[in-house]
Amino acid sequence: MRTAYTLLLLALVTAPLARGDPLQAEFLLLPSAQAAGTFDREAPVTQVQDELLQADMLLTLQKGRFKFFAEYLVSDHESDLERLQLGWQLTNDTIIWVGRYHQPSSVWNHDHHHGQYLQTSVTRPDIDEWEDLGGILPQHFTGMLIESGHPAFGSWRLRTAIAGGIAPQLQADGLEPFDLLHPNFDRHTMGYQARASLHPSDFSESGFGLLVADDQLPWAGEPQTPAQVGLDHVDLRLIGAFGTYAGEKWNLQATLYHADARLHYTTSLVNDDFDVWYLQAERRLPHKLTAFGRWEDSFGTGDSQYLKLFTEFARIRYTAGLRWDFVSRQALTLQFENTHTLNGSFDAVRLQWSAAFF
Amino acid sequence: MRRAFLYLLLLSVSGLLHGGQKSVVLIARADSKVSDLDSLTVRKLFMGWPVLVNGGPLHAIRNRSDEQLDEVFLQQVVAMSQSAYERQILTGLNRQGSIRPEDVTSQERVLQELLTDPNAVSFAWLRDVAHNPKIRVIRVLWSE
Repeated sequence: MRTAYTLLLLALVTAPLARGDPLQAEFLLLPSAQAAGTFDREAPVTQVQDELLQADMLLTLQKGRFKFFAEYLVSDHESDLERLQLGWQLTNDTIIWVGRYHQPSSVWNHDHHHGQYLQTSVTRPDIDEWEDLGGILPQHFTGMLIESGHPAFGSWRLRTAIAGGIAPQLQADGLEPFDLLHPNFDRHTMGYQARASLHPSDFSESGFGLLVADDQLPWAGEPQTPAQVGLDHVDLRLIGAFGTYAGEKWNLQATLYHADARLHYTTSLVNDDFDVWYLQAERRLPHKLTAFGRWEDSFGTGDSQYLKLFTEFARIRYTAGLRWDFVSRQALTLQFENTHTLNGSFDAVRLQWSAAFF
Repeated sequence: MRRAFLYLLLLSVSGLLHGGQKSVVLIARADSKVSDLDSLTVRKLFMGWPVLVNGGPLHAIRNRSDEQLDEVFLQQVVAMSQSAYERQILTGLNRQGSIRPEDVTSQERVLQELLTDPNAVSFAWLRDVAHNPKIRVIRVLWSE
């Protein structure tokens, strides 16, 4: 609670600097409902939940150049403050945020965040999965995020985001981000991330870029598997490249991550590296239909010591589906998946309703 | 008699020209700090992007008092369909907590909002604001 109070105090102290400007507010509700089933199941456990009802709520308050931005997700499985950011609009193209943010080296999460309606597929690539759903990369940090844009090479645009903050901890059941509402100040370390991309114009979603991250993840739990015994912390470094083509009919997105993990045990050091990539293609069809497919694959994940901490990770996954935007700001999506984890494989089918209200 | 007829003819032609020409203009309060905005900045402003003038952010008001005015807005100002525009606005809200332009459905309310907020910027038919001393025309966005 101390961090939330600090953010609130900062807002109160700095608010007089925006005197004269009216307070503006914005609220966005992104509800969704999903039913799922698995079949041909060989894996002992999966990340698939039979049903999921959720409401993602976003609130913005702006006064002058100050901005307060919060995202709260409520579902029948969890409720969590996902983002809580206090921003200062430095220039037209640069904003500085402090608080809890989504780390910028995940392109998918930067584009879609938690809003189900805003992503075409029901699920996200497993490499970009949230920590509480078995994600293997830290996604929620508490610290500072600077997002910026600059003209480059004539009419092209360079977009950048750099961040540094308190990293999630490693626990027996996965990664646990710093909780702003119930903070625990034991054993916290830092992580740093950056993303830079070039786009043909200010408004274009098409573009390509690079990402890097250097995160230290401390162990903070009771070991329950051999891979967890004696683990002190993990230094996780990521480099990656990504590209997006957003056309009238086609939308393509690809990302490649190379992960270098150093697992520091009390008596030894284990070096590990692996690569994960995905390619998603979307084709808009008549009658407000969109067909999509995604191929997720990896190299070096089978014997990865780091991934032994996350055995439900999908090292290969094929996804295909159809989305129907049947009325304004509401969609139905049917999706099929074939997933290969480190412990087996399974197929799944999902049906989702998603919407956006503001 | 001939001279009077010529005068009448000139007056009618000039009236037709004046009445026939339609222009959509970007407007602000007469004492607004906004001196000029290029078309790219206007597009950013109405897509919910931050536009700072003299250190303060401008507030966009989307004038939806007239269907044809709305068409000009979509075609000439933001250059996209209503559904694509909504998608862009949603994306901005989700990614950066952007504040979307305020939708106002009556011309009187647009003028009221402009007069109460020195950082507000909107657009209107030139004929509706040309003789209003409290409103300043910043630039012509479109004319026919």
